[in-house]
Amino acid sequence: MTDTVAILNDTTRCTGCEECVAACKKENGLGRDHPWRGQGSVSDLSSSRYCTILHQPGQHNVRQQCRHCLEPACVSACLVGAMQKTPEGPVIYDPDRCMGCRYCVAACPFGIPRYDWHERVPYVKKCTMCLPLLREGKRPACVEACPEEATIFGLRTEMLAEAHRRIAAAPDRYLPIVYGEHEVGGTSVLYISDIPLDFLAWKPNLGSEPLPQLTASALHKVPPTILAVGGLMTGIYWVIGRRMRLAAEAARGTETEQDPEARGAP
Amino acid sequence: MSRRLFILKSVLWALVGVLGTVTVARFVHGLGAVSNLSDAAPWGLWIGFDVMGGVALAAGGFVLAATVYIFGLERYRPFVRPAILTAFLGYAAVAAGLLYDLGLPWHIWHPIVYWQYHSVLFEVAACVMLYLTVLALEFAPVVLEHPRFAHPWLRKVLHGLKRATIPLVIAGITLSTLHQSSLGSLFLITPYRLHPLWYSPYMYGLFLVSAVGLGLMTVVLESALAKHFLGHQVHADALAGLGKAAAVVLLSYAALRLGDLALRGVLADTFGRSWHTTLFVAELGVSAIVPGGLLLLKRVRSSLAGLTFCAALTVVGMVWYRLDVSIVAFARREGLGYFPSWMEFAVSLGIVAGAALIFIFFVERFRVYDEGSLQVPAEPPSFDPATPHNLLPRKVAAVERFSVVAVAAAALTVLLLPDAASLGAEPGRTPVAAARTVDGLAGPRVEKKRHLVLAAEARRPGGGPVVPLLLIDGNRNGDAVLLDHRHHVERLGGDSSCGGCHHLDVPYDRQTACVACHRDMYEPTDVFVHASHIEALHGNAGCVKCHPASEGPKLRTTATACRECHAALAAEGSLIALPHDRWAPAAGYVDAMHGLCRDCHRRKKLAEPERWSDTLDRCDTCHDPDRAGDLRQMAPDVHPRTVTRGSGAGEIAAGGRRPGAASGGAR
Repeated sequence: MTDTVAILNDTTRCTGCEECVAACKKENGLGRDHPWRGQGSVSDLSSSRYCTILHQPGQHNVRQQCRHCLEPACVSACLVGAMQKTPEGPVIYDPDRCMGCRYCVAACPFGIPRYDWHERVPYVKKCTMCLPLLREGKRPACVEACPEEATIFGLRTEMLAEAHRRIAAAPDRYLPIVYGEHEVGGTSVLYISDIPLDFLAWKPNLGSEPLPQLTASALHKVPPTILAVGGLMTGIYWVIGRRMRLAAEAARGTETEQDPEARGAP
Repeated sequence: MSRRLFILKSVLWALVGVLGTVTVARFVHGLGAVSNLSDAAPWGLWIGFDVMGGVALAAGGFVLAATVYIFGLERYRPFVRPAILTAFLGYAAVAAGLLYDLGLPWHIWHPIVYWQYHSVLFEVAACVMLYLTVLALEFAPVVLEHPRFAHPWLRKVLHGLKRATIPLVIAGITLSTLHQSSLGSLFLITPYRLHPLWYSPYMYGLFLVSAVGLGLMTVVLESALAKHFLGHQVHADALAGLGKAAAVVLLSYAALRLGDLALRGVLADTFGRSWHTTLFVAELGVSAIVPGGLLLLKRVRSSLAGLTFCAALTVVGMVWYRLDVSIVAFARREGLGYFPSWMEFAVSLGIVAGAALIFIFFVERFRVYDEGSLQVPAEPPSFDPATPHNLLPRKVAAVERFSVVAVAAAALTVLLLPDAASLGAEPGRTPVAAARTVDGLAGPRVEKKRHLVLAAEARRPGGGPVVPLLLIDGNRNGDAVLLDHRHHVERLGGDSSCGGCHHLDVPYDRQTACVACHRDMYEPTDVFVHASHIEALHGNAGCVKCHPASEGPKLRTTATACRECHAALAAEGSLIALPHDRWAPAAGYVDAMHGLCRDCHRRKKLAEPERWSDTLDRCDTCHDPDRAGDLRQMAPDVHPRTVTRGSGAGEIAAGGRRPGAASGGAR
């Protein structure tokens, strides 16, 4: 399998300057923030803010953005394939296919996709890892903009190696985990940090099982169910129908013996 | 028409009228204008009630079809036609509800073309479309057997459909089994959002069993309503039989649900820990345990009132179960609640009312219920006189009572619409802490920046004149910032400059945030790399090493001088002139070398980006971070040989080191 790209966020280096947010807005043409109800604060992700800095107590700044999971729940959830995992790694969205059912918004374990609630023609909005830039050979806008190199970009294996190298070099500075290495099957945006990053997902301790597998187990039962239910119903219908017919014939037989004229009756 | 039926129809038509007005608002101004949906609650009442509940309530169709056609229990035959009609209308209501809920309803046909069969929702969509077709074919004979449709070709179609009954019924049962259960599978992918008391890896089973129980009870409730409003006779024995079957199914559902939770250890872990427990107990009690338990009693089963009560409990409880799964027990961030707007309720109720009116239309004109004979009516079958084509001038169509009710309700709704629904949704105002005036001290200007402090907090009184300052949430992030408003007005050009920050005509935004102009505080300097210093000084704890004063701006000029730590940077006492007549220590050997190499590296990178690596001007191109920043040992032929993009980690990789240096860097 060819290696995919990834972003490594080192939260201990982030000063929270939000240059990445500004660069992201510029690159994606997002304009001003349109805060919508259901947003905790203006600096939450929204349809006009694909990445944001979550300022945590104690001068800790953590960037939130699409994790571009290796096996994305949103991609498996979308019934028309509007969410797509590209071979390079980023998860992108095709507005021409989307129906607007928002199953992807519900399915994402990190609560990333956002919706254009205030629009007449609404679309799902989320980080694309600047795929057009990547295909030009450039780096994502947020990575390019970071003045502290708190976020770096490269192949996922390299980013993982770099993350482990940094943790090994300064074990007292980092928690000994790379957030995103195994979570929900691995993500393409990795974090190393000195604080637990559980607040980035709906629940702490995400398992390493990719979420699409949970539905795959149910979907695998569909063809057998069709055969089983269809076959069972046909069988029952045949058996019961035959019994009733036999019973009716037997009844008619006894009737016939008693009253031969009844034979012609329907 | 009985008085009861007249009142019922009036109410239903009024609800349809309200629906009409809300429909216009929904499609003119979008989802956000009429609903309370948000990113925190992407699915609301329309999914929870209309889709999830609607499909479940329509389960009577396949349950009764199986009972009568497959299992041959003939005494339940009177229930089949109303159950099939209810199922058909229920699914039509689901489709109608989806049209309101989908963001792009004109793309509702996409699942027919774009197949993404890894998605449970695709299975649901495919099954619903197929089953709607099957139900239409199953119900078509009821319409076609009417004497009006006596054309020989139509008779042929009728005959063919009747012959196809059994295959259609089997297809219907299979499709129902699949998507009643897959509505539960929808939530398998959200183990982290759905509360553990509702999440189960076997949700599809629970949804299927509960749908069967609910389907039986819907038929009972429907018979009771038909007796009450339409005066149709009830088949008491058969109803009691349905009640008995429902008791078994409902109690098995409760046992399965509790058993699953208990066996997986969820009950022990989560029971009694939060308000969810109360919700769970109430929901399970109302939906299954209470009606199931009551129906075990023969006295309850044999009385219509008892049966109706149990059926109503089950219907409410099972819809409640679906609402819990899709909305109430579905995690949201703290403080971000969801309660449907009245317009969401209006849409849900309006669709149900419309379906009920169509149900009554069929019951009054076709042989949905057994009794009575069919005659060719004097007038061709038509909807009630309040249908839209009769909302025309009096000459064309007489105004009837139901038309008046519907139109009046629609008009009244127009008056009640909130601004968002009538004028279009607007994002809320950014929550900003209110500004207030405070006494402050403005310090001297340092590098174009002035340091403002609260007078009350100034450690050195008398540092300058006390001026009125504004304490504002200037970046709208909850942090208060001191603003010298008078100074801004002076600097930016007097009265005409107000629009620079306060532009009242820009939608969604009432003022420019501070950061829009003041973005330069983290700009990297030419030589100094802030990040590497943070790293060397152990993160944020090391700030005070260079920025000893806790108050005051953290500028290059107020920071500890580089030579305090890096003694070897400059020759003792040597000074050079800087712009603005300031003097600084002369560059030592290190700075000189940096100037020599780095400027060239940067120029080359900017001038020929396609030829040079992105990291050409980075510290670690020459310095080895693994060896305390020492210069890398260069192979003699590395410099000035060209290092080009793409020779390293891959086409789009850019964060790696310069490949030529790797031999020196590796240890």
